[in-house]
Amino acid sequence: MLEIIDVSKSFNRKLALDAVSLHVGKGEIYGLLGPNGAGKTTLIRIINQIIDADRGTLRFDGKLMSSEHLRYIGYLPEERGLYKSMGVLEQLLFLAQLRGLSKANARKNANFWLEKLEIKDWSKKRIEELSKGMAQKVQFIAAIVHEPDLLILDEPLSGFDPLNVELILNELKTLKSQGKTIIFSTHNMRSVEDICDRAALIHHSKKIAEDSVWNLRNSQKNGEYSIRFSGNMIAFANALWTDFEMIDKKDLGDNRFLAVVKMRGNNQINDLLKALMGQIHIEVVEERIPTMQQVFMNLIGGKEAQIA
Amino acid sequence: MRNSWLIALRELKERFSNGTFLLMMVLGPLFLLLMLFFLFKSGDEGKKSLKVLISDPAGLMDSKIIASEEGKISYYFIGDYLEIEEFRDGKAYQNFDALIEVNEKVLMNKKSFVFYRENPSTDVKMQLKFQLERRVEEVMIENFTNLSVDQFRQIKQPLNVDFRNVYDPKNQASDMEGYVGLVFGFLIVLFVLLFGMSILRSTAKEKSNRIVEVILASVKPYQLMLGKITGIGLAALIQIFVWTFFITIGLIVFRQYIFPDMFNPSNWEGIQVSADVQQQLMESNSAERYNQFVELIYERINFGFMFIHFLFFFIAAYYFYGAFFSIIGAISGTESDGQQFVLPIIIVLGLAVYFGYLAIVVPDSNLVKYASLIPFTSPVVIMVKLAQGLPIGSYYFVILSLIILIISTVVFLWLAGKIYKNGILQFGQRAKIKNIFQGLKS
Repeated sequence: MLEIIDVSKSFNRKLALDAVSLHVGKGEIYGLLGPNGAGKTTLIRIINQIIDADRGTLRFDGKLMSSEHLRYIGYLPEERGLYKSMGVLEQLLFLAQLRGLSKANARKNANFWLEKLEIKDWSKKRIEELSKGMAQKVQFIAAIVHEPDLLILDEPLSGFDPLNVELILNELKTLKSQGKTIIFSTHNMRSVEDICDRAALIHHSKKIAEDSVWNLRNSQKNGEYSIRFSGNMIAFANALWTDFEMIDKKDLGDNRFLAVVKMRGNNQINDLLKALMGQIHIEVVEERIPTMQQVFMNLIGGKEAQIA
Repeated sequence: MRNSWLIALRELKERFSNGTFLLMMVLGPLFLLLMLFFLFKSGDEGKKSLKVLISDPAGLMDSKIIASEEGKISYYFIGDYLEIEEFRDGKAYQNFDALIEVNEKVLMNKKSFVFYRENPSTDVKMQLKFQLERRVEEVMIENFTNLSVDQFRQIKQPLNVDFRNVYDPKNQASDMEGYVGLVFGFLIVLFVLLFGMSILRSTAKEKSNRIVEVILASVKPYQLMLGKITGIGLAALIQIFVWTFFITIGLIVFRQYIFPDMFNPSNWEGIQVSADVQQQLMESNSAERYNQFVELIYERINFGFMFIHFLFFFIAAYYFYGAFFSIIGAISGTESDGQQFVLPIIIVLGLAVYFGYLAIVVPDSNLVKYASLIPFTSPVVIMVKLAQGLPIGSYYFVILSLIILIISTVVFLWLAGKIYKNGILQFGQRAKIKNIFQGLKS
């Protein structure tokens, strides 16, 4: 759907993007991750043709990207902005028409979304009369009202209460099921795990990782297992001896414990289970896959993953 | 182009949803008409018919004076001195509106007083002065010369030395018309400034509330800028048309219903003298200027011609200056941030009006010639020149000025587009001159 090839951009000799290449497949939800100032917004602005890249190429559906493609893109910027004194419906009609929709289609789509997101009764109100959450919904509709094939959302969940976060995430899943492609830039790593198929991490203007969310998490696992058991903690610790390392433990009460164990040398999970058999009563053994939060922290700061 | 038009229409709608804009649309012309009304009224003020008592103890006037046929003034004589207090308070004199003192010294010092109870209208004052002066003149001719009245008046005619421009031998260009041109030019400056500020505010507002990022994901910065200037310009044009409509209606109503007398040239025909004498008699009198003003407004200015040129030069000047206001809006951090950069534009616009004034007082100077070609000042100067009346064969100068203005506008809009593109996404910083140069370099 979207190919970004070797894109670089500088502002006043300060490098904002350094030869970044991404591939966003059709129909996938693609997480664009990175700390503040990494260059995500610059990249998003380049895709939206708000600014031009100094170097590099962008392809949309295999074709060199041009202003013609803008009507197939929807954009929700991180810094929300609407005309405060303009009515909700009027504003949506204006923005949809700017994206190439006829007035009739714009009205039809706007009404559909206003109804779907339960703000139809507010369609004649001015933006300044709405609550922040309500205005966020209008902004979200503004990004999708023209039925874009590619939707770029920069921090789409900020400002929403948990109920509305769920509502928006469900809408995104529905859009994905309709074959829409979504680029999803966020600091909310849990939502990345929830809905993203693939993700890229940008740090200090460079792409430092790009893969499916599962692969990214998998690539960061380091042979840690969490074991829930009942029995004696000293017996458990003795059984580990020098072949395994207990890196964390939690007393669950009633002689039940949760421990995190890391393999040493060439030991595998079966060796651990053999060592523990007969010493304690094992309830659950699970390999610890890092969360996206941990992947993010590991990749950008090398910080140790904390126990969940 | 479609998107620029959509942006323009949105701007237009926003202006029309603004109460102040709608109020100005109605109050603006009403205010101007009110000013004109008071201007006309000041000439029409006062008592329109007068019963005058002439105190002539020396019998100089022999109880004779020619009153006007229309009977606005009726004269009565008293062959005795009359104290002002007695005239003012005496029961016998309460029917008289004014007392004229003609004593024996009047032939020497040529001084007479008119004591009125209520200030007469300019028109009546004019007639009274004229009739009294003529009668005293007749007495003087009789007493001091052997000439007939006609002979005397023939001699009395001064040599009329009229300075005329060799390129304008018919003296078509005149100060009064020039001032009307200056008013047109001033209106250009006023509208450019008022609506230019709207461009600035609207651009800075879009930037500060961040909607600009959403818009720029659909349109090019240049299209946004052009759409914005066009939309606000359309609002300005509609306002101009509404003003013109109301003012035209107002002037017609003034002429037909409110001041029918003042606009009737036959007002002056009641005075049975030649036009030259009338001119001479009335010289240095404000009423003459007033009458000229009325005539100027209703007869001498070709408003259709002026209005068409006004539109062309206004549109070009608006886009020209609009480019600068857009730049300021784009580099401003907030709406109020850009105000500091408006001052230089106001100074330049003020200079344009000053050059318009120079075009009236020193119309043939080189400075004025250059100013009529320089796009910063040409709209005002050309309006003055057009109102004064162009010498035959020099209309090309207006076309040349307009072409220079249009080319400059295109160039400055292009440059503004570059700066706009660079500045509009620079959030959270104060406006600086260096932003302008950075924008030009990029």
